[in-house]
Amino acid sequence: MLDRLGTSLKDALKKLAGKTVVDRAAVEELVKDLQRALIQADVNVRMVMALSQSIKARSLDEQPPKGMTVREHVLRIVYQELVKLVGSTGEAKLEPQVILMAGLQGSGKTTTTAKLARYFQRKGMRVGVICADTFRPGAFDQLNTLCMRINVPVFGNPDAKDALKIVREGLSSMSGNEVVIIDTQGRHALEGELIQEIIDIQKIASARHRWLVIDAALGQQAAEQARRFHDAINIDGVIITKMDGTAKGGGALSAVAETASGIVFIGSGETIDDLERFDPDGFISRLLGMGDLKALVERAEETMAGREVDVNAMLRGKFSLRDMYQQLEAVNRMGPLKQIMSMLPLGNMEIPQDAYDVTSTKMQRYRIIMDSMTDPELDDPSVMGSSRIHRIALGAGASPEEVRELLRYYKMMKKALKGVRGGQGKLNMQRMMKKFSGGM
Amino acid sequence: MFEGLRARLQKVQGTLEKNIAGAASPQGSDASSVESPDTESGKDPSFLTRVKVLIADREFLISEKDIEEPLFELEMILLENDVALPVADEILRRVKAELTGKRRRIGESVDEIVISALRESLMGVLGQGFDLIGFIKSHDHPVKILFTGVNGTGKTTTVAKVASYLKKNGCTTVIGAGDTFRAGALEQIDVHAGRLGIKVIQHQAGADPSAVLFDAVQYAQAHRIDAVLADTAGRFHNRANLMNQLEKIRRVMKPDLVVYVDEAVAGNDAVVRAYEFEKTVGADAVILTKADMDSKGGAAISIAHTIGKPVMFLGTGQGYDDIIPFSPERVVGELLGDGA
Repeated sequence: MLDRLGTSLKDALKKLAGKTVVDRAAVEELVKDLQRALIQADVNVRMVMALSQSIKARSLDEQPPKGMTVREHVLRIVYQELVKLVGSTGEAKLEPQVILMAGLQGSGKTTTTAKLARYFQRKGMRVGVICADTFRPGAFDQLNTLCMRINVPVFGNPDAKDALKIVREGLSSMSGNEVVIIDTQGRHALEGELIQEIIDIQKIASARHRWLVIDAALGQQAAEQARRFHDAINIDGVIITKMDGTAKGGGALSAVAETASGIVFIGSGETIDDLERFDPDGFISRLLGMGDLKALVERAEETMAGREVDVNAMLRGKFSLRDMYQQLEAVNRMGPLKQIMSMLPLGNMEIPQDAYDVTSTKMQRYRIIMDSMTDPELDDPSVMGSSRIHRIALGAGASPEEVRELLRYYKMMKKALKGVRGGQGKLNMQRMMKKFSGGM
Repeated sequence: MFEGLRARLQKVQGTLEKNIAGAASPQGSDASSVESPDTESGKDPSFLTRVKVLIADREFLISEKDIEEPLFELEMILLENDVALPVADEILRRVKAELTGKRRRIGESVDEIVISALRESLMGVLGQGFDLIGFIKSHDHPVKILFTGVNGTGKTTTVAKVASYLKKNGCTTVIGAGDTFRAGALEQIDVHAGRLGIKVIQHQAGADPSAVLFDAVQYAQAHRIDAVLADTAGRFHNRANLMNQLEKIRRVMKPDLVVYVDEAVAGNDAVVRAYEFEKTVGADAVILTKADMDSKGGAAISIAHTIGKPVMFLGTGQGYDDIIPFSPERVVGELLGDGA
C-alpha cells in the first residue's frame, strides 16, 4: 500500500521535471499525493491541510534561486516544510535526572522504561527504575524481569495500592543512582482521577523530563490526548513506540505540535536494545515510505563497535561469505534482517520474501556450516566445487544439500545488496529527494 | 465514543440537504420556462431527460456537482475521525453512487434521501454484530476461542473481560495463557483469573504457546467446560516467524472462533494489520478496545470494512464489566441522530 504511495509521489515529481516555470497543475498534483501519503501515515488532517497550503503557496510565489531547476526548487520547499512539521529532536542529556513516563494504556511505557534504562546504562550512567503502576496485574513483574536482565535495580511493590507512596519511597531508595526513571500506569485523558494522580506524582518527583509515550499506530486522537497530558504535567518530549510494525507514527507529530516539544526516542523492536535517538531525516523517509540509511549506519556502528559488519563495504558490493557470517552473528543484536533491510534505501527494489523467512534456527545451522569452511572459501565462495561442498558437509555434520542451500541464500543476499549499491553511497534526505527526481 | 463524529456528520448532512434543495429550485424554474420542449434543447440528451423527468413525474435529478463540496467535507470528517483513507474513499463512492442520478420527487424530503444514503453506506460497511452467547450455545463444547492482535492492544485484559461476561451469562470458561513471551504476562493473567475465579492453564515463561493452548483444550474437554479462551502474545503482522507461530497455534488447537483484537484509537495502520492478520490466520470477529478514550470510532469502520468481519464487543474501561456488545444499527442510528 505504502510502496504505491512512494511511486505516485515519484510520478507527481516526474511531471515537474524539465519545466522552466512552476506548473500549477503539477504542483497541485504533487501536493495531493503528499496529502494522501501523510494522512495514511496518521498525521493530523488539519496539519496536513496547512502544510499543503504552504507548500503550494511557496512553490508558486517564491522565485527559484538562480541555478536551481523548478523541480529542485519545489523539492526543497517540500523538504523544508516536512522538517518543520516533524520538528527537532527532543533533549536527552547524559546527566543526573529524574524521568517521568506517561501515556495511554498499552502504548509500551513499561517496555520503553526498560529500554531507556538500558540506553542510559550503555552510555555509562547509573540507572534506577521505580514501578509506580499499582493497577495493572503483572506490571511490576514485567519491569522487574526486564531490568533484572540488564542488572538495573527496580523499586516497587506488586501488592501496594498507593502510587504516590511508592514514588516517594522509591526516590529516596534510588537516590544513589544518577538517572531515575518512573514508570506509571497507563491512563487516558478522560480518566480524571488518574490524571490527578500523575499530577501528584510529578509534584513529588519534580522530574526533569516528562515524556509522553505514543504508539506509532495512534490516529487522530493523538492531538487531544497529548494536549490534556500537557495541561497536566507539561510534557517536554515524545517517545514513539512500535515503529517496527507498519504504522508510520504520524499521530505522534500532532502530539509534538500540541506539546511544543520534540520526539526524543523511537522504539522499534521487542528486544531491550531496540531504542534509537530520533532522527528527523530518517523519520521523514519512513513517513513517506522510503528507506533510511543513516539510522542503519549509526546503529550498526554502535552495536558492532564499528568492526564486525562493514555496511559501507557491503554497499560497495564487497559481500563475501565472511560478511554474511558476521551478519548472521550480529542478527541477534541488530534485530531481524527485515528490520535492517527496511532501513536501507532500497527504493522500489523488492527483496524476495524468502530472504526474510530464514528462521533463526536456520541461521544457526548456516553459521555451523560456515565454521567448516576455509579462509579462501569464505573470502571467495566461487571456488566452491562439489568436492569442497562434500568436505564442508562432513565437517559440519550437514548434508551437501544444506551447504548448497546456504550458497543459494548467499547469492540471493549478494544480489539484493548489489541492487542497494546503485551508486548512491551515503545519502540523506536531500540527496534521496534529488535522486528520486533525478533518476527519471 | 462516536459523539464527535456524530456532531460533524449532522453538520455535513445539513450542507448536503441545502445543496440538493438549492440545486432543485433553479431546475424548477428552468423547467417552467420550457414547459413545451423545443427542438433545440432536445439535442442535449441530459437536458431532455431532465425535462422529461420533470414533466412526467415532477421529480428532480441530483447531479454530481450539487454534492461535490459537501462530499469533500464529509471525507475530511471521516479522515479526522480515524477512518482510514482507502475506507473513507470507499464510503464516499457509495454515498455518491447512491445520491447522483437519483430522482427526487417533489415533496419528498431531502433529509430522508441523504440520511438513507449515509445509512446505507455505513451499514454496508459495519455489517452485522456478533452474538457470542448464541454462538457458544449453538456449537459443540468446548468452544475454542483464539485471541490475536498486535502488541499492546489489550488482549489479556480483554480475555479477562470476556471470561467475566461469559460467566455472568452462565457459561463456564478456562483460560489458556498463550502469552509465554512478554515479561509479566503470566502473572497478569493469573491475577485476573484469580479475581474472577476462573482456571488458567499455563506453562512456564518461554514455553511453546501451542502446547499450552492444547492443554487448555484438553482440560476443558475433561472437565466439560463450555469455552476455552486462548490468550496469545502480541505480535506484529510483518514478522514472518511470529505469524508462523500463530498459524501453528491455530493448527494445533483448531479454534472455532478467531477473535482479532485492536484498539479503537488506532489510525490508518488498523487497516494494514487487520488485513494481514485476516490473511495469515483468519479472523471471525473483531473486538475493539479502549473505546472509552474519547476515540473517534473510525477504526471500527476501517477494520470492519477491510476484513468484512463483524465487531463483537467494545472495550470501554479498566473494569471487568467494561465490555459491551457492539450493535451496528445502534451505532449508525446514533451517528445520524435518529432512531434508525
